[in-house]
Amino acid sequence: MPADDRSATPAVPTKGVGGDPRESNDDVEEAPGKIWFRDLDEAVIEADRCVQCASCVAACPSDSIGIDAEEKRPTLVRMCTGCSRCWDFCPRSGLRYERLIQLAGEERGLEEPETYAARATGGPAEAGQDGGVVTGLLAALLEAGEIDGAVVARESDEQPLRADAFLATSREDLLEAGGSIYTQTMGLGQIEDLLADADLGAEPDLALVGTPCTIQGATALGRYGHEPADPIALTVALMCTRSFEYDRLRSRIESLGVDPERIESLDVGGGVLTAVDDAGELLLETDVESFDAAGLRGCDECADFVGGGADVSVGSVGTDEGYTTVVVRTNNGRSAWNRAEDALEATEIERPEPLERLAEWNRRRAESVLPRGFDPDAEVGITYEDHRRAYDGTDREPQPLNPARVHQYEEWC
Amino acid sequence: MSDPTVVSPSWLEAHCESVTVVDVRSRRDYEDLGHVPGAVNVPAAEFRDPSRVAAGKLPSADDFAALLSEAGIDPDDSIVAVCDEQGVNAARFLLTAAVYGHDGRLSLLDGGLAAWLEDGGDLTDETPDPTPTSYEAELTDDAPLVDRQAVEAAVEGDAIVVDTRTPAEYDQSHIPGAVQVGWEDLLDESGRLRPEDELEELLAAKGIRPEERIVLYCNTARRLSHTYVVLGDLGYEDVAFYEGSLTDWVRSEAAEWNPVELEARVRSYADAGGFEAMIEELGEDVTNHLKLIGLYHQKQEGYFMLRTRAPGGILTAEQASVIGEVADEFARAPEEYGGPDQNPVFGDGYLDLTTRQDVQMHWIRIRDVDEIWSRYEAVGLETMQACGNSVRNVVGCPAAGIDPNETVDVRPVVERVSERFLGDPHYANLPRKFKISVTGCHENCARAQIQDLAFTPAIRDGRDGFAVRAGGGLSDGPRVASDLELFVEPDRVEELVEAVADLYVDYGSYLDTAVNRLRFLVEELGVERFREELASYADFEFETPDEVLTTDYRDDHVGVHEQTDGRSSVGLNVPTGRMGGDEFRELARLADELGGGELRLTPNQNLLVPHLADERLESFLEASVVDRYGPDPGPFSRGIVTCTGREFCNYGIVETKNRAIRWARDLDEWSEAVGIADEREAVRVHLSGCSASCAQPQIADVGLRGEVYRDDYESGRAADVGLGGDLGNDEFIDWLVGKVPIDDVPAVVRAVTLAYETDRDEGETFAEWTRRRSDVELRNLVSEAAGTKPAAIGTEAS
Repeated sequence: MPADDRSATPAVPTKGVGGDPRESNDDVEEAPGKIWFRDLDEAVIEADRCVQCASCVAACPSDSIGIDAEEKRPTLVRMCTGCSRCWDFCPRSGLRYERLIQLAGEERGLEEPETYAARATGGPAEAGQDGGVVTGLLAALLEAGEIDGAVVARESDEQPLRADAFLATSREDLLEAGGSIYTQTMGLGQIEDLLADADLGAEPDLALVGTPCTIQGATALGRYGHEPADPIALTVALMCTRSFEYDRLRSRIESLGVDPERIESLDVGGGVLTAVDDAGELLLETDVESFDAAGLRGCDECADFVGGGADVSVGSVGTDEGYTTVVVRTNNGRSAWNRAEDALEATEIERPEPLERLAEWNRRRAESVLPRGFDPDAEVGITYEDHRRAYDGTDREPQPLNPARVHQYEEWC
Repeated sequence: MSDPTVVSPSWLEAHCESVTVVDVRSRRDYEDLGHVPGAVNVPAAEFRDPSRVAAGKLPSADDFAALLSEAGIDPDDSIVAVCDEQGVNAARFLLTAAVYGHDGRLSLLDGGLAAWLEDGGDLTDETPDPTPTSYEAELTDDAPLVDRQAVEAAVEGDAIVVDTRTPAEYDQSHIPGAVQVGWEDLLDESGRLRPEDELEELLAAKGIRPEERIVLYCNTARRLSHTYVVLGDLGYEDVAFYEGSLTDWVRSEAAEWNPVELEARVRSYADAGGFEAMIEELGEDVTNHLKLIGLYHQKQEGYFMLRTRAPGGILTAEQASVIGEVADEFARAPEEYGGPDQNPVFGDGYLDLTTRQDVQMHWIRIRDVDEIWSRYEAVGLETMQACGNSVRNVVGCPAAGIDPNETVDVRPVVERVSERFLGDPHYANLPRKFKISVTGCHENCARAQIQDLAFTPAIRDGRDGFAVRAGGGLSDGPRVASDLELFVEPDRVEELVEAVADLYVDYGSYLDTAVNRLRFLVEELGVERFREELASYADFEFETPDEVLTTDYRDDHVGVHEQTDGRSSVGLNVPTGRMGGDEFRELARLADELGGGELRLTPNQNLLVPHLADERLESFLEASVVDRYGPDPGPFSRGIVTCTGREFCNYGIVETKNRAIRWARDLDEWSEAVGIADEREAVRVHLSGCSASCAQPQIADVGLRGEVYRDDYESGRAADVGLGGDLGNDEFIDWLVGKVPIDDVPAVVRAVTLAYETDRDEGETFAEWTRRRSDVELRNLVSEAAGTKPAAIGTEAS
């Protein structure tokens, strides 16, 4: 902002918008920039901007943030100590993800990312969508002992179309989890629990497969050497323009006269959403835009379609049917990729035009929606006050906190 | 009030002209996903108010009226409520409207929106623009709300208590005698109500018949709403619901929160598998309950911090000796955590004196507590209710009975209050912890402003007694306790505490853990109303004090003081409160041999040894342990206070004890070097590892609170910095600068200390000086010393 514009700067917002009783008296003035989970709740979750990446859950040093089983949203399960980490690692608030991606790229990126058209050889091609590359890659790495497990998405047993985080430790596990699911798993926030239930020995190496925002959180945690990222040895981003919110997705499907229980698989490609039943019969074929309202609104603020923070990104755009576009971006990603050579049929290609176009469209959408400036050269951290200055008065401004998420927990000191 | 009924989509289709459809989904879903034509939107989040401390989850009558009026609803409108969660939230709306006296017919759309669509109903995205009405709401006299007492009566047999949750939830815990009928059991696969005969059969099988009185509950009073509507529709006439639901019940009645039973249970694991067996049999949740008997699970799995209470800070030499011996023997780290070298400053086998006159020790194993408690019993020591949601250790004047200037000797008062609540299961399970202090001197040395309930000396009609303050506290949402303008005689203190506890149980929320300390209730009700309500709980007439006698604030008892009886007490300085168990024992021996067989703990983590006759004072002062914790420390060692910190605490963001004691020593040396050591008696630096304020940073000269900082390339431990706490003037610090990297803190302390020395007026205290300087100046001073960027906000005004 030019210096002479300073008079136009909105007044410094006061802390919180939800009338939390802890902020209702002025016996102690709070420190500038102080963040509590309630601030995240108001600015992100209640403002309907949460993208369910679970970065906050992973970042919390006292494990105070859990995942609400019903809503699949971060929620306090213990006292919040006010350390601000949840905010610092949330790509919708304190983490300037475009800066993070740039820094990560400078520090660990290949000089030139490598792009491939690939598909798996053998079984995985059937199980996974678009060539089964992720399944093939991970299975090969598992079998080579390069990784001990992979955190992936698997369709929930009880709730079709809902994705659960799953720790795959064998080829069979991976085949079982193959295929795309269009809701978030919050797997980044469950690594500790998943490991506790598995028997992978001390200091296991895991691959984390997730949406670009999930990978942003994981990469950021790793960059600062934070413990939750320690087991993550490889990050694989699934290219993504938007994730669905489970309940809205169901409602939307129902409103089109389709029983969600009958859907065996849901697919999005070329702007078209299709659903088929277990006999392969088409239940639904519609413009994916008609599902806009079922999407996570926070996704609109993301310009990272390709998952620029990941070691390897995969997506279906720009390659032929049955193939996947793969971008290998780091040394770490390249060695994993090479290690899985035998399991994959891959041709290095130029960056496909449709991929570039979609990425460009995605960036423009984000820039038009983002109330704050999109600036890969600005500081990685965004303060509470700066967030409020940019978001207040927009339809993405903080909303009063949800007491069930912020006030009700069972453990305290 | 009208009883809600259930209507089908086809009924709604036929009657849509004559009813008001209320869609209770979120505004976004209502707008974007479409809604029943003509439906108005009243989102569930707006008519459920789980935040209120003093009531259940019902909104206030005024709020509800405002919502309905905004939605253009009249009191006699016929309403059909719709949601997409099989009717739960819609039913909740109907129930709310019913208890607030809605006159028109109230109906639930069977099967919700899914059924509406399935039966061929349309959705629209046209939003009506309702004309606001003048809706008025008032809780009806016959509203079917019941409280905990009524549920207790129901349990005793005067009604059928129905648990509307899932069998799994029911199996985990339920109200005794309750029968389980999950609300979803009443629906078929498509989410519509089962046929009437099936429902009646299903209900009858559980003994739920139309002629019975029925009380419904769930977890948060949402699911029960659905069952309430269904039973009403089936013609059940006497159905009530327990708004507090299971959460409230479990907290207030469950055996696992009974400290006496809990203690017996834990002792039984000493020879039967210890920690692992206990967790295996009682579940991981048990570590939460163990606080009630003084055990906090440390960061290191399987090891506990044990807190021992010392009411009023008073210990006999015999008790102190046992505590020292126990610490020396049991507070020892296993090899895998460093054994004798676990802590580079304090070694092993140490204990911590606390800001509430307790003693804490670490590395205690479940296997050892039976033995420890046996030794404690022999000398009358307790760990019960040292932690947890009960009346905590009562803080009292460390110099009670020996201070020449005191009005009331508070020792008997402290003892009576402590005894009254110890082991009483009813009061062992309050909504949240309950902290009390009693001061008998004129110097507020038991820190009235930061207690839930505090007594300080006052006079009424020539009678000595106490003035009462309530609703103070620190941590997140600090509040200076309010003066209730209430006088109580020493004999009535116990009764008053009981009255406050009763009020707290009735009004306090067992759900909203984060905001249910007594101070939030005082704030919500207002001081006047709180006092009025309290009067109705007490059996005596309330009086106002004629005169309050607090004149000053005393923040420690370090040094040699003359007692009323001419003997001396020696206040020792234990920087950060930590000392060896063997040292504590040695002090107990000296107190026994040379003093009156007694030790006192002070609220700033120090020790006072009373009753030293002149001829013995010299030999006491010459003892090496006394010399080590000498009564004439440097200003920083004297003022340092810390919590347990990251070393053991699950919440601590920064390590505190080792760090702070090094700081204090270095800063003392520095103060000698710059020539201010003699000027400043004490510089009070309080370091809390997180926002929980166990080190009470808000009352210090320099308050520090653990944090983290991060820039583009690094992150690290940090502290928020605040200045100028002053209980002499009811002042807490303001947090001036956030996230100062932890290693820069000593430079900040030096800078503010020097700035004060240079700038102060004659006789001006540090806190007064901070008030004279603007916050902008102080922020700049701190930021510059820390080498951080100037504060992001607040730089324009002071």
